[in-house]
Amino acid sequence: MPGETQLPASVSVRPARRIGRGGRGAALAWGGAIAIALIAPHLFASGFGLSLLCRMAIAIVFALSFNMLLGQGGMLDFGHAVFFGLGGFATMHLLKLVDGGLALPVVLLPLAGALGGALAALPAGWLATRREGTSFAMITLGIAELAVALVVMIPQWFGGEEGVSGDRSGGVALFGFDFGSAVQIYYVLAAWALLAAALMWGVTRTPLGRLANAVRDNPLRVDFLGYDPARIRFLTFLLAGLFAGVAGGMQALNDEIMTVSNIGSAASGAVLLMTYIGGVGTFSGPVIGAVLVTLLQVALGTVTDAWQLYSGLIFVAMVLWAPGGISGIVQSHAPILRAGRGARLLGPYLALLPAVGLTLAGTVGLAELAYRLQAVRGGARAGRLFGLAVAPTDPWQWLLPLALFVLGAWLLSRLAPPARAAWQEAAAQAARGVS
Amino acid sequence: MSAPALSLRSLHKSFGATSILRDVSLDIPAGTRHAIIGPNGAGKSTLFHLVTGRLRLDRGSVWLAGDDITGQSPHAIFRRGLARSFQVTSLFPRLSVFENLRVAGMRAAGCGHAFWRRIDGFAALGARIEEMLALLDLGPRRDVAAGALAYAEQRALEIGLALVGGAHTILLDEPTAGMSRAETERAVALLRRLSAGRTLVMIEHDLSVVFDLADAITVLADGGVIASGPPASVRGDARVRAAYLGAAAEVLT
Ligand SMILES: Nc1ncnc2c1ncn2[C@@H]1O[C@H](COP(=O)(O)OP(=O)(O)OP(=O)(O)O)[C@@H](O)[C@H]1O
Ligand SMILES: [Mg+2]
Repeated sequence: MPGETQLPASVSVRPARRIGRGGRGAALAWGGAIAIALIAPHLFASGFGLSLLCRMAIAIVFALSFNMLLGQGGMLDFGHAVFFGLGGFATMHLLKLVDGGLALPVVLLPLAGALGGALAALPAGWLATRREGTSFAMITLGIAELAVALVVMIPQWFGGEEGVSGDRSGGVALFGFDFGSAVQIYYVLAAWALLAAALMWGVTRTPLGRLANAVRDNPLRVDFLGYDPARIRFLTFLLAGLFAGVAGGMQALNDEIMTVSNIGSAASGAVLLMTYIGGVGTFSGPVIGAVLVTLLQVALGTVTDAWQLYSGLIFVAMVLWAPGGISGIVQSHAPILRAGRGARLLGPYLALLPAVGLTLAGTVGLAELAYRLQAVRGGARAGRLFGLAVAPTDPWQWLLPLALFVLGAWLLSRLAPPARAAWQEAAAQAARGVS
Repeated sequence: MSAPALSLRSLHKSFGATSILRDVSLDIPAGTRHAIIGPNGAGKSTLFHLVTGRLRLDRGSVWLAGDDITGQSPHAIFRRGLARSFQVTSLFPRLSVFENLRVAGMRAAGCGHAFWRRIDGFAALGARIEEMLALLDLGPRRDVAAGALAYAEQRALEIGLALVGGAHTILLDEPTAGMSRAETERAVALLRRLSAGRTLVMIEHDLSVVFDLADAITVLADGGVIASGPPASVRGDARVRAAYLGAAAEVLT
């Protein structure tokens, strides 16, 4: 090519868009995950930090099990918390038996969750997996409603309003550990998270895992290759229910209580949100999403009551502008960075920052005003924002964030196309294969 | 004499009030290469859909190697040894070329629905796929997503999916459609090689391919079989010339 330096002979030309990664990368990733799991409790040793880590471990397993359906199998399950919740209730009941003297190590209790989740997925999957696409999603929505109704109807099993609670330190101690303390339960949950994640990763590399991908891409063709797509969906659904049950069992151990809300649509929506924000296209996406959204919930939850508003906004923004989620963004830049062309993106991307900042500031201002307007009408106090006294009933206060938002959005609409073009060009050059 | 690889007995099919196929009967002996030709809209693809379980018959029956397979599901028919390709390319767009072929080879390799065995552990299957990749000239594109392939490469992969599974009877719907002259020649060589010992039925518009490969030709027009037999006799058939060949008649002489 004119104007380009001659390449050394050893430079290889790689084919465009390679997919999948080598065994060494995977070994590195798993080693890293174990190391993080071991180091994290030392970095976040406070009670707050440990409880956050425990919630992350649970969310990771739950989101991975959800992505077995959505990302791997192309099935959008609107009622995934049903298997999480029923797994949790099963664990809770076993925990109560342990409290009553049953000689079973508490560490093993998430197994009851696995059983509960899989058993619940049996009839649900039998119904839902006969269909694909929108019909599948609609059936799962119906199943979720049904499950909540059943749980409310049978207070003997599910404890009605109060739910079912137990005491995880009530069983026999194992090697002197009774798992009552926060750090002990963290290690139990981290071990379960690693085990469940490793198993789910393993499933992606089995015949069933590959067939699930094939059914996601083109169920009709699978049918003409000797496999019943509905059967593949069903088996995948059972496994996803099983691992959601493990997550529910972990939650039962952590919170020592399960209630109807653990089964409900809010919980199902939360796992969808996490998985999508992290990215459904890769195995690690849901892990990233689980960690970030859990963090966000807690972090935002301490500074603003409107965190649901924000996570909703983030979700919508992701669906619109980054449908591959965070892992999708990373994935689309990895070949560019590997090809050494990342520097060219720095300029256009940095130019976006002020625009993004303005839009965000405007959005936050508007969101807080809107949220506090409700609060003020309900008789509460508006409080302060960025050190300013908020008066949501004053129309003038709406003007500033509105102006910031409009200005930011306008700048974004001008600056985003060149940034996108720069990215596309860099990606095309990287794909053309000079590494 | 052994049973025909494929036997169609008095097939009827209508879409609503439009009758597409009326009383189509055809025997295809095992181990032969059979071409089905006919004008656009004659119902050739519909015939394949009926045989492979994609569509339901109105009347008639389909027999595969002596067994009645009428009304069975596509996956059940595949398991009895019948594979097919599609006129409209039908791949797994997000899977790599290698994974596309591997999914197609799984049933024959005895993978079942296992979720406790590593897919890479099926060494014979992996070797077979690598061999197929080389035959299809897709070796360098092994790890590229099927959706990112060029059109001709997708067509080659489409044929590969039908051939890799070890079926004894293979139905190909316009395998060379959209291929260049050179690509078509390579595809013909590949089909000749891989159909050895198997029964091949193909719908084909390219008459040079037809006369190059086929042991027998069936002409479908006006909802029925208007001629069927060895290339020489079909070539001379007056009804065939009148009903179908017209503009392409010079190829026959
Ligand atoms: N699902 C369907 N519903 C209604 N009509 C259909 C359907 N499928 C096919 N047809 C009609 O049936 C007729 C035969 O279609 P078919 O695809 O079998 O033709 P073909 O011989 O394969 O033609 P071509 O050479 O163009 O591929 C066409 O007129 C088509 O429009
Ligand atoms: Mg056709």
